[in-house]
Amino acid sequence: MFSALGEPSRLQIVELLGPRPYAVGEIAETLSIRQPQVSKHLKVLGESGIVRVEPQARRRLYYLQAEAFDQIARWVESFEHLWEVRLDSLGDYLRTNDTEEGQP
Amino acid sequence: MIAQLFKKKKELHFERSYPASVDAVWRAWTDADRLRAWWGPPKTMVAACEIDLRVGGRIYIVTEASEEMGKYQGTRWPMEGTFARIDELRRLTYDARSWTEGEEATTTIHHTNDLILAADGDKTVVTLHVLITEIGPKAKMAAFGMRWGYKSQLDALEKHLAG
Repeated sequence: MFSALGEPSRLQIVELLGPRPYAVGEIAETLSIRQPQVSKHLKVLGESGIVRVEPQARRRLYYLQAEAFDQIARWVESFEHLWEVRLDSLGDYLRTNDTEEGQP
Repeated sequence: MIAQLFKKKKELHFERSYPASVDAVWRAWTDADRLRAWWGPPKTMVAACEIDLRVGGRIYIVTEASEEMGKYQGTRWPMEGTFARIDELRRLTYDARSWTEGEEATTTIHHTNDLILAADGDKTVVTLHVLITEIGPKAKMAAFGMRWGYKSQLDALEKHLAG
């Protein structure tokens, strides 16, 4: 399941939907992926909250969910948090370990 | 498109003041044995640490999940970089990539790290800029997938990370 999330065409779809919504057929055509495949990908993306669908006239349009992208920011924050922890740890180390030893 | 989204927050900036000499901070950052002592976040250990302190030299650090991380135990996160700039006791710049071992193609993050040390009385001010320049597709999708926390996905993720 998780490896399926890393599927390249799914990422392509996410990137395609960035600027505007698309219908299934358009996505299939633009990315040269068979329509049933596109539908499968959209289903997974929908279940993960990345994409939502809105019926419009006779078509169903797929939109990116803005909130999904908060997650990228949050992911970057986790990297940031790692550094905060690491820099705290450096402080502890400097306070306790490197006062008398290692003077060149 | 995703790259654009990252532009907003891909630059990290840290500033700390430590009650230690510039010498001590520099050694803590550039001496492999010293760096080992503080680098890893809790529940991890530094499994490998190599620092070849010269421009073009390699910095290679492997963080490994310890027993306390339960099912993640043994997961390894290498970081490999190259020193681009070394101003003894003042500034250290290295370009690096970090990834989850076994998933290099999809989890790799590229980042540039710029460390500046400045004496401030008997303290040292450390400024660190981290610029994330590229993120692998799985790392991106993990960022999406985690929030919604569908149990099956998380279970699969745990299994994936563990195994």
